[in-house]
Amino acid sequence: MRKDIYEKMQILANSAKYDVSCSSSGSENNHKTGELGATHNSSICHTFTADGRCVSLLKVLLTNFCIYDCAYCINRKSNDIKRAAFSPRELADITINFYKRNYIEGLFLSSGIIDNEDHTMVLILRTLKILRYEYHFNGYIHVKLIPGTDDRLIDEVVALANRVSSNIELPSDKSLKLLAPNKTKEKILQPLKHARDKSLENDTKPIGMSTQLIIGATPENDKDILKLSSVLYDKALLKRVYYSAYIPVNDDRNLPAIVNKPPLLREHRLYQADWLLRFYDFSYDEIVSEEFPNLDEELDPKTSWALHNLSYFPMEINKVSKDELLRIPGIGVRGVFKILKARKFKSLDFEDLKKLKISIKRAQYFITCKGKYCAKVSFCSDTIKQAIIEPPKKRVIQPSLFDIDYSAITGEL
Amino acid sequence: MILIYDKTFEGFLTLVYDVYYEKLKPNSIFKQKPNKLILEEIKQIQTNEIKATKVLEAIKNKFSKKAFQTILNIFMCDNDDFEVDLLNFIIIGFKDKNELFNINNSSIFYIQNLEKQLFRANHKMSGFLRFEELEDNTLYAKLESRFNLCYFLGKHFYKRLNNQNYIIHDINRKLAFIKDGTSIKVENIASFEEPNLSEDEEKFKRLWNSFFEAVSIESRKNEKLQRDLVPLLYRTYMTEFEN
Ligand code: SF4
Repeated sequence: MRKDIYEKMQILANSAKYDVSCSSSGSENNHKTGELGATHNSSICHTFTADGRCVSLLKVLLTNFCIYDCAYCINRKSNDIKRAAFSPRELADITINFYKRNYIEGLFLSSGIIDNEDHTMVLILRTLKILRYEYHFNGYIHVKLIPGTDDRLIDEVVALANRVSSNIELPSDKSLKLLAPNKTKEKILQPLKHARDKSLENDTKPIGMSTQLIIGATPENDKDILKLSSVLYDKALLKRVYYSAYIPVNDDRNLPAIVNKPPLLREHRLYQADWLLRFYDFSYDEIVSEEFPNLDEELDPKTSWALHNLSYFPMEINKVSKDELLRIPGIGVRGVFKILKARKFKSLDFEDLKKLKISIKRAQYFITCKGKYCAKVSFCSDTIKQAIIEPPKKRVIQPSLFDIDYSAITGEL
Repeated sequence: MILIYDKTFEGFLTLVYDVYYEKLKPNSIFKQKPNKLILEEIKQIQTNEIKATKVLEAIKNKFSKKAFQTILNIFMCDNDDFEVDLLNFIIIGFKDKNELFNINNSSIFYIQNLEKQLFRANHKMSGFLRFEELEDNTLYAKLESRFNLCYFLGKHFYKRLNNQNYIIHDINRKLAFIKDGTSIKVENIASFEEPNLSEDEEKFKRLWNSFFEAVSIESRKNEKLQRDLVPLLYRTYMTEFEN
């Protein structure tokens, strides 16, 4: 039976929702007179879902038909689920109409593999061409590259998209072999490498790329994961790594059997650690080590680092350098800038920090202002930890994110 | 002393002029005569174009582009009580423009904060505003906000909807940003009738709602968080939160 368009939307949005990359930030502004759409440098959230995620893109699959059978994936061939496919024309029309109504910033297009890799990529490409050439749409488009596609098709997609990605999904080859037997890390990274090189031919900046890792479906520890991310950042291959707490959607003997709740806290800690890699100049082995390969669940990684390195503290707010300020738990990038600016005019005390709207709830244990230390516990790592973890009422951390870009707030440590 | 001006930008610039040359020391600045009896001296500012132009030129010359923009932004955002602080801001800037970064001064701190709040509200609204397509394909959005965002949003969408006609209607202030062909203007809207929607409008609303429901992950549901992120006051015109 033919499905109506509403049902298709239901199916294909539902199938795409486990992909967490979402933000459209960081792309150049490129509007043109007489055309439709522009990208915006900081990402704009158009709404938030009932689970608190920012919606900024129309994130759908072109189709959820798939010839493969990856164990963690809801769209795997062996699953008995409703299937549907958009035509390129349908999808382009919906995108344009959503954009005009200001529902979205653009399109995030991914797909199951229908028939074969190249055929699927061609359908995606056709959608892009209608949007760019026919509707003169300059808004944001993110395309999930399909590993194993012909390089020439990748070239065409790279020329039309603002960002591309290819999900690594699992942090090691061994796990991939187990859960996604037709994939290897090599094969997954191939389109990304090709896209980087291709986009560098025409431009000094490579096209923005990202990937996603599933957390908790396989036995890798946080050190394995952060090491992988940090290598990918260093090679300038990727702009973002997204972490997605494993949500069981299938029964498979190779998957962890009973997971009551997705490991959200672990996901949250990984995002915090990732943030330290990208914006605070931490290296991964400062955050995790042979001895402690996993992030502390009780403390954010910056606080945890500080408690292991108490000799750098307490820092005098009025004296230490910018780099040092950045390492103070509880003081984020913006806080550091505020302090640096205000310091030029006077030497700051705790009252001044309050006025600058810098919360010292956490920082108080690690700083002095004009030589004064104001925390009411003795300066040693056990007591500080105690004081941070156990303020009278027990706090449950509510990880609010998949998308940290939106919230400079949640990400800052 | 209390100063009263006529709410216009010219009026405010005139006020700056008079404060300067008549060495006035206002404690408060009102947009109209207060009703209750006040013992303080009250002075009504007579808006004067020549004085206003002089001050405007002086500000343009003396202030950085960014600080000038701040002054305009604060004025346009239409908050209740910005006048005394904006006046101080301008006076400080004339004395020493480096001081404009000294957030230890309460007026400067206030102005900077207000501008930030304005930007934040504007940023949120630029995502949460919803257009509906009218019969003649014009896109029409209703707006309610603490700040006067009409102009800021109008500008934002000028880039995005460059080949479209659109209207952003501030319901409470009875203002609208109107883009029609190549012309753009902000106009007073005294009265208006609910316009007719295009044939497709229902379809895309339904598709959007269908999408919105489908992307939420049941096992991560957290409505309190959702309420923090999209406060109820923003939801009035958001399709996906209707009913
Ligand atoms: S190839 Fe992609 S869509 Fe198909 S089963 Fe594997 S992960 Fe799912």
